[in-house]
Amino acid sequence: MEEILEILQEVRPDVDFLAEERLIDDDILDSFDIITIVGEFNEEFDIEIDVEDLEPENFNTVAAMQELIEKLQSE
Amino acid sequence: MSFTDIAFFAFVGVTVLAYFITPKRFRWITLLVASLAFYWINSGWLLLILLGTCTVTFGCALWIEASNKRGKEELKALGKKASRADKKNLRAKTKKRSRRILTVGVVLVLGALLLLKYYDFFADNAAGLLKPFGIRPPHFAFLLPLGISFYTLQAIAYMTDVFRGKVTADRNFCKFTLFMSFFPQIVQGPIPRHGQLAKQLYEPHSFDYTRLCHGAQLALWGLFQKMVIADRLATPVSQVFENYTQYHGLMLFLAAAGYGLQVYTDFSGGMDIARGVAQMLGIELELNFKQPYFSISIEDFWRRWHITLGSWMKNYVFYPLSLSKAFAGLSRKSRRFLGDFVGKRLPPILAMFTVYFLVGFWHGADWKYIMYGVWNGIFLVAGILLPEQYAKWTDRLHIDRESFYWRTFQIVRTFVICTLGRLFSRGETLEAAWQMFGSIFTEWSNLTFLSESTRLTLGLTERDWILLFAAVMVLLWVDRKHEHGIRLREAIDRQRLPLRWVIYYGGILAVYIFGVWGPAYDAASFIYGQF
Repeated sequence: MEEILEILQEVRPDVDFLAEERLIDDDILDSFDIITIVGEFNEEFDIEIDVEDLEPENFNTVAAMQELIEKLQSE
Repeated sequence: MSFTDIAFFAFVGVTVLAYFITPKRFRWITLLVASLAFYWINSGWLLLILLGTCTVTFGCALWIEASNKRGKEELKALGKKASRADKKNLRAKTKKRSRRILTVGVVLVLGALLLLKYYDFFADNAAGLLKPFGIRPPHFAFLLPLGISFYTLQAIAYMTDVFRGKVTADRNFCKFTLFMSFFPQIVQGPIPRHGQLAKQLYEPHSFDYTRLCHGAQLALWGLFQKMVIADRLATPVSQVFENYTQYHGLMLFLAAAGYGLQVYTDFSGGMDIARGVAQMLGIELELNFKQPYFSISIEDFWRRWHITLGSWMKNYVFYPLSLSKAFAGLSRKSRRFLGDFVGKRLPPILAMFTVYFLVGFWHGADWKYIMYGVWNGIFLVAGILLPEQYAKWTDRLHIDRESFYWRTFQIVRTFVICTLGRLFSRGETLEAAWQMFGSIFTEWSNLTFLSESTRLTLGLTERDWILLFAAVMVLLWVDRKHEHGIRLREAIDRQRLPLRWVIYYGGILAVYIFGVWGPAYDAASFIYGQF
């Protein structure tokens, strides 16, 4: 979780990621942020997030992102 | 039969009536018949091209789904004991196979669009290169099937969604044809996604008086935008753009601003008619505009303008390109030479540039449209690369970024950038656009447009100008209310019956009396209907 937060805060220092629950639905993160975050996650956690995974429910909260990373790591 | 023809209103009336008197299980058939009839009336035998796209898309989607299913079964057969690498290999193999089918589908439907809409553009550009060899590519000037630029994107989105496992492929060809041809959206969108629209079309809707009224109100508001504002603005805008050498400086900027407003009210008006008609039948089409004149940046503008095209580009071009192996490799290499900051941002920036190049090209087969896309791309990329500098500058100038004045400045700045971009999309040619662009900055002090004699040579009377001003104020008021989340139609519902009817009749009369009607006016020419 901490590594994820670190990456997120590096990309968007102005967002309180622990408090937000609708990061995508409320347009807090835009498509450019998402791509930057995905690039960092892929590198940091040695996973391959695919286009199919770019759904709001996978990026609306930090917990959802963590779940996605764990799912891809176990595959 | 345009959305603004009396015949269209009659067509809608008959369709709505027929829909609700048809037994529930056959209601989708009424919609299909109406949609095919509408297409036939407008395009005749070109209907066959639409049906060809439907056939290819329908077949490829089923094929892709079968391929995905086979992959899942093979994965299951491997069992739990199989290694992670084996499973990964099998998944990759399935994906590769399904992607090949998707490519076939995309090439076929996109090929039809490229051939019919862009062939002459490519032939013209190739002519110069082939001249030394004595080859001259022929010109065909194909007739464009109605809505081809829109339904082609819809077909690609559907096949890709099936490939990604987001939606189940349709089993019924007739139902699928309805999804592709639904008459309110076939002309100029909104570009729907299968998951959002198909079920609404296939399932029957019961009659609902309030919904019918809301749909009619929305369509009436669309007619007001189109006929009172857009069609009135068309005359002076054309006069200036077609004779641009006679005008200078701020006059050209005003013409571009007028064109921006014309496109907005033309397109958004058309969308409201489409959404209103669909709503009368119980179907919700996606929102395509969200008060774009309140945008505070170009990025914000594209989130509010032609939303479904932006969303399509994001899901089917920007994301796949940015995440592709080629772009990831480019990012790694560029980090070595350009540093972390630029290296990390390079792939999405290139993908974004590609998107805006395509957005421009999608609008038309001409370099001026490509420049229109590139113009927007430049400001979007600047917005990505310069936020830190931007914050530093505003801090140094002690600007409160949350203040009303700063927000107003941002709105005006976005408006100016968008307006200058309009020179490219509306200019007669790319050269004409550059010439107008230059004049705005070098002859800005020329204020002849303020004189009455200039104003009245633009094809509108004094009464027209006053009407136009009043109508734009109404539009601004409505957009401002929407911006603050106020739902006007629900507010009307809460009024007493006599006042409600005064509003309804007022709206109808406003369109009837103040709308631009008459034989000289080409009712079929919705701007986006030509794209």
